[in-house]
Amino acid sequence: PAMPNAAEQGPQFFVPGEKQQQQPVPAYQQGLQPLAGQSLQPNVNQLTNQMAGMTMGANAFGYNTGPQLSTVALMGSAPRIQDLDADPPAIRLPPNAAITQSPNANSHPSYKRSTLNAVPGTSQLLTKSRIPFGLVITPYRSIKDGDEPVPVVTDSVIARCRRCRTYINPFVTFIEGGQRWKCNMCFTANEVPSSFDYDPQTQQPVDRWQRKELNHAVVEYIAPTEYMVRPPQPLVYLFMIDVSYPAIQSGMVATAATTILESLDRIPNDEGCTKIGIVTVDSSIHFYNLNTSSGEPQMLVVSDLEDPFLPQPEDLLCNLSECRSTLEALLNRLNDMFKDTQNVGNALGPALQSAYKLISPIGGKILCLQASLPNLEAGALKMREDPKLLGTAKESTLLQAASNFYKTFAVDCSKSQVCVDMFLFGSQYSDVATLSCLPRFTGGSTFFYPAFTAAKSEDALKFAHELAEFLSQRIALEAVMRVRASKGLRMSAFYGNFFVRSTDLLSLPNVPRDQSYSIEISYEDNLTIPVVCFQTALLHTSSSGERRIRVLTLALPVTNSLHEVFQSADQVAITTLLACKAVERGMNSKLDDARDALTNKMVDLLGVYKTHMTAASSGATPNLQICDNLKLMPLLMLGMLKHVALRGGSQIPSDLRSYAMHLFSTLPSQCLIPYIHPRFYALHNMPADCGTIGDNGIVMPQAMNLSSERLERGGLFMLEDSQNIFLWIGRDAVPQLCIDLFGVPNYESIRGGKTTLPTLETDFNQRINLIIGKTREMRRTAYYPQLYVIKEDGDQALRLWFLSHLIEDRAEPIMSYYQYLGHLKDRVNSGSF
Amino acid sequence: MNFEEIEDQDGIRFSFNAWPASRIDATRNVVPIASLYTPLKERDDLPLIYYEPVTCKQHTCGAILNPYCQIDPRGKLWICPFCLHRNQFPPHYRDISNTNLPAELLAKHTTIEYTLAHSAQVPPIFLYVVDTCFEDEQDLKALKDSLVVSLSLLPPHALVGLITFGTMTQVHELGYTECPKSYVFRGSKDYGSKQIQEMLGLTAQATRPQQPLRPGQPAPMPSGNTRFLLPYQQCEYTLTSILEQLQMDPWPVAQDKRPQRCTGVAMSVAVGLLEATYQNHGGRIMLFVGGAATEGPGMVVSNELKNPIRSHHDIEKDAAKYYKKASKFYEGLSKRASTNGHVIDIFGGCLDQVGLLEMKSMVNATGGVMVLSDSFTTLIFKQSFQKMFEKDAEGHLKMGFNATLAVQTTRELKICGLIGHAVSANKKTASVGETEIGIGNTSAWKMCGVSPKTTNAVYFEVVNQAGQVLQPGSRGLIQFVTHYQHSSGHFKLRVTTVARNWVEGNSPIIAQSFDQETAAVLMARIAVFKAEIDDGPDVLRWLDRTLIRLCQKFADYRKDEPQSFRLTDNFSIYPQFMFHLRRSQFLQVFNNSPDETAFYRHVLNREDVNNSLIMIQPTLMSYAFDSEPIPVLLDSVSVKPDSILLLDTFFYILIFHGETIAAWRKAGYQDQAGYENFKELLEAPVADAQDLLMQRFPIPRYIVCDQNGSQARFLLSKLNPSTTHVSGGQYGSMPQGTAIFTDDVSLQVFMEHLKKLAVSGTS
Ligand SMILES: [Zn+2]
Ligand SMILES: [Zn+2]
Repeated sequence: PAMPNAAEQGPQFFVPGEKQQQQPVPAYQQGLQPLAGQSLQPNVNQLTNQMAGMTMGANAFGYNTGPQLSTVALMGSAPRIQDLDADPPAIRLPPNAAITQSPNANSHPSYKRSTLNAVPGTSQLLTKSRIPFGLVITPYRSIKDGDEPVPVVTDSVIARCRRCRTYINPFVTFIEGGQRWKCNMCFTANEVPSSFDYDPQTQQPVDRWQRKELNHAVVEYIAPTEYMVRPPQPLVYLFMIDVSYPAIQSGMVATAATTILESLDRIPNDEGCTKIGIVTVDSSIHFYNLNTSSGEPQMLVVSDLEDPFLPQPEDLLCNLSECRSTLEALLNRLNDMFKDTQNVGNALGPALQSAYKLISPIGGKILCLQASLPNLEAGALKMREDPKLLGTAKESTLLQAASNFYKTFAVDCSKSQVCVDMFLFGSQYSDVATLSCLPRFTGGSTFFYPAFTAAKSEDALKFAHELAEFLSQRIALEAVMRVRASKGLRMSAFYGNFFVRSTDLLSLPNVPRDQSYSIEISYEDNLTIPVVCFQTALLHTSSSGERRIRVLTLALPVTNSLHEVFQSADQVAITTLLACKAVERGMNSKLDDARDALTNKMVDLLGVYKTHMTAASSGATPNLQICDNLKLMPLLMLGMLKHVALRGGSQIPSDLRSYAMHLFSTLPSQCLIPYIHPRFYALHNMPADCGTIGDNGIVMPQAMNLSSERLERGGLFMLEDSQNIFLWIGRDAVPQLCIDLFGVPNYESIRGGKTTLPTLETDFNQRINLIIGKTREMRRTAYYPQLYVIKEDGDQALRLWFLSHLIEDRAEPIMSYYQYLGHLKDRVNSGSF
Repeated sequence: MNFEEIEDQDGIRFSFNAWPASRIDATRNVVPIASLYTPLKERDDLPLIYYEPVTCKQHTCGAILNPYCQIDPRGKLWICPFCLHRNQFPPHYRDISNTNLPAELLAKHTTIEYTLAHSAQVPPIFLYVVDTCFEDEQDLKALKDSLVVSLSLLPPHALVGLITFGTMTQVHELGYTECPKSYVFRGSKDYGSKQIQEMLGLTAQATRPQQPLRPGQPAPMPSGNTRFLLPYQQCEYTLTSILEQLQMDPWPVAQDKRPQRCTGVAMSVAVGLLEATYQNHGGRIMLFVGGAATEGPGMVVSNELKNPIRSHHDIEKDAAKYYKKASKFYEGLSKRASTNGHVIDIFGGCLDQVGLLEMKSMVNATGGVMVLSDSFTTLIFKQSFQKMFEKDAEGHLKMGFNATLAVQTTRELKICGLIGHAVSANKKTASVGETEIGIGNTSAWKMCGVSPKTTNAVYFEVVNQAGQVLQPGSRGLIQFVTHYQHSSGHFKLRVTTVARNWVEGNSPIIAQSFDQETAAVLMARIAVFKAEIDDGPDVLRWLDRTLIRLCQKFADYRKDEPQSFRLTDNFSIYPQFMFHLRRSQFLQVFNNSPDETAFYRHVLNREDVNNSLIMIQPTLMSYAFDSEPIPVLLDSVSVKPDSILLLDTFFYILIFHGETIAAWRKAGYQDQAGYENFKELLEAPVADAQDLLMQRFPIPRYIVCDQNGSQARFLLSKLNPSTTHVSGGQYGSMPQGTAIFTDDVSLQVFMEHLKKLAVSGTS
């Protein structure tokens, strides 16, 4: 087989996704110089040898394989971090792989992306590449202004393959004159529903080519009754609020009550069926009857923690519309009701057991707001943080659940379509590791507010914002998710917040917006087809009470070419998948193992690339080389190694680490990548249009490499990792900057720490406020990054925290980026991969 | 000797008012020396004393100065008649002389009441325990209305609390002002008293000891006494609105089920609450129950409708599945409540039984009241309940709390025990005798609740050996000292000292001193007390044997000549009382439900001689033209077509129109001019019935019926069956009156047998 001629390749294919694919920028333009004497072409002999062993050539299917592989050297220049925002490598399907020419025929990466956009034809080839193969799915990503909504097939005709149950999609083929369609997974011929051509309602012929499911990779069906075991459940929000002494003292209860009160109009309630319940807990469980004749809430206290029960059969969950005034009355006085408490008990476990009794007949959401460690009866936890264990092999034990109660309870919840969300407010130890089990297995979310005190308005604001956003999310309910793949491929490992009900069926009592799920794929057989398909079906109930099926179809070409495999590799998706795997390893084994695995993976990749893709197939190499689309992998690996989730040492409290690990396995890519590799901007000298509204919204400054070399004594810098925003101000900042931005006369007058930037009439202040606003918005999730002002000579802990994000720097004992590359090179050269 | 005059003065009546001087002679009298004593008997001219009593300083005695004490005005000494100790009068008695005696030494002041200097720290407590399981919303509504009305009858400073129950038990925190708040207890669980207190936050355990309080943390939570039990005037609004909004138990009840009713847990929580907060402070737990407990500890019937509640037959056959366990459970509560000084009342409002049998110990041991009615909508309940809150002239509730009745005797006489609503105070003094009747082995008893009606039977024995020489005119003395908390908050001491002459065993004075009415009631109490423990037939045999022996001792007869048998006047109707007692609901239980039996026996043990006699032998008045109403024989011969009968059984009052009267009434003659006398005739018994109704507690059932009407059975069942369907006419004539379908023997037959046996000398 002959190699395709690069000259013949043009961007002649339709490009999936919402934006037109950019031509890859040549490496030299990106500031990476090709090495002298180094061909950008792969070693032809090598490739030829490879292909000789294959049954079919890479282009045996008769289509072009895309542009030539572009190899870049890693050492000697700063990583080109702008490419973190680049689109994934193009999916180069054969012509006419899709039956319509729709630009939306294949999944947009924000819904579903593969670590490899060309699938190795054999497991041997995959193994050889050393690239992890998996999918990153965000099936219920949020739709913001300007985003295309997911099209809904409203006629409730659902065409599925009678054999393998695949939903009809843009990659099927019509046969027998369009009478039947051939499944693209199992190739069974199926009848085309008559309604594809004729609308029985209007009694008019219709154009099947306009059907949404043939034009859109992401589509939603209204499910007919056979997809229901019972009527769709209404939304149920049961708030379980800690009212113990620490909870009241921290101001959590007051903030929560106010926020819930103010969010009542934002809670989805389309059909007027949404139910709300409030349970407060200290050493007793307090229920509230919200459906009283007097309109006054009625408090029912259950102190029997051994054997918790519901104090009455009804009215503890009330209809949001009907009992609104009673609910408001309760929320208005909730904090006052406990303001004099000195109760330091927290019977969360028993309270959950009784909440379960309350909510499980319908299913729904239990939102736990906890500011103290559960310390009574079932599920009681102890302060188990042990600084002596941190940084040792036993640290993992602190990252594992301390009690089986929560996992077991979560599994029960999952069976009853109950989701548990955790809002944890730790003044001391919160045992995030244990309590985050509840969200993990029930499709929930965990929010963590260490050292929360509502007296700090920033703390209150962040929590209030996140809770309000979370409450207003149009979530999906009682969902199951299954990913089908073409024959030969199998979903083998799952990461994220759900419960695996059977081998490949994920149960999600709730699907929150913008949570990500990663799935690793393994081979059962060689692939003998040119295109493989991954179809995700999410059967769920929408917030408006409709049973729906969201189907996400991703078609990928099959290749037997290693260079195509490399060329199609998506470093963002790979990093997302590796983050999940590392977290799992760190929890179940040792953090050392997790870190080693990441570096080993990197060494393997570079080694394989060197061996098979470059001229320097053996012997020492003076530089590390990798294909352009994976060039940021070492930096992202280093970012993970230096991240709170995985970083070594004995300084990271296990709560913070557990929470970071939780985020690692649930954040969607647009949050996870900055979480691993924060965005870093110089603001004092940014171009004049930055922070103003341009053609594509607010113009952001150019992100900089994460290196302290960039810091200037008189400068103002911003760093953002999707969870926090830091404003670093150099000690020589001129008074004008202080006046313009903070409204204070000079540097000395600036207060460091958590803060809210004032809104001033100055241009500079307004631009920076816009940049901060845009930053918060572009991460799309409910998280509200906290703003910290760091003064160069200010609080030492804050400074170090800020500096720890500058991952290209050396931070003892962890290597700088260049040291890391050197380490990788040594390993590659020693052949230890 | 006029027994009733004595009763008016001292609230006491004795079986014998002259006492045989030796044990053996006393035993031969068959009926023991015993008294029915009403310690708080209302008396307009009761001497009220506002200083502390003078007590005998002999350390085991403590008797109180009384008119039977010998005094030495010059030596300023008095001699205690019980222990013969010579006591110095206290300094402020220095002016004492034979012409200047303090009230307590005046001969007429054998009963006197001291108002003591110290008073109760806590006003009376009223804890309402309210059932919410009803078939009809109207029942709950009526109950709520009555409860709200009752609150307004409480003294404003009285502490009130509320517990409601159904499937679960709720304790309402009346002191919580943010919103209605209650603590909920699972109805199916047997909570220990410590657990209950912890769950209500009444112990220090409410906060975790392992986590030390932080500095600056507020003072401990207010304790139970400001959370659950508050002065009525403070929580009037909260309590009234909770009551008004009280809903039926919300838990669903299947068609074939009874509602889940956890009376046991509710009472356990109520007892525990008062125990933790107001131990030994006077208070009452008032239970309002609409049916039998069907779950949890103390359940008396399963909630399956197909399983009926136990009957006397089930209990006899040991087939009442829950009876023993439930009784034991409530006995445990009753023990705790009585130890803590708290009264328990039960108000039942249900057509069926509520499990009073199992629960009775709680009321009987604490001096509470029982009121059984078909529903809380009935007047019986409403009026009886209101009557609880009757006030005296000063506006104080006519109820006393936490009373102790201590009895002291001169040494020839010892105490056998007490039968009444009390528990032993376990006071073993020299006055305690060997023989035990009722609650014995003590000379003092505790009555958590006591009312002006409370009447106790106290039994004595003579311990003098035969042959001990009597001083002429020597007397035996008994002093009854009742210490109690008046509803005004004052502690009071009622002292009654009685003296009776010792006489030779064969003296006719003894027979002359016999009070047959009192004796009948005293024997009835013993019989009922035995019946609670022994088999019914054994009790009847005992009663018969006693009667025969009494007749053998006191009747005039010639051996084996029944027709020679004569009883003197003051013995003559005693056999008749026994005849009626034998066939009364107190001993013949099978015509009643176990709950009714428990109720009847409870009432008998509270009332005085007159009322008790009405219960034993109902009264029957006849109203006819041309004559004043007259008492007539409780006999079928008294039923006449042209007369109206008014039957008073104490528990119900019945007006019975003879056939002719009924027909006229039906025709409406009473409303026509010219028939005014008929109208008057109809109204006379109604007015009399109203008088009776007003005096009673609980309010009796009121029945108006006609001859041959279905309700007439209530009359016929009480009449002596002198003319049954088998007896034929009396004296061979055609039957008079009305024939009663019964197999009971008639009084006449009973008397014949009695005479025969009494004179035979073999029994
Ligand atoms: Zn198929
Ligand atoms: Zn004495």
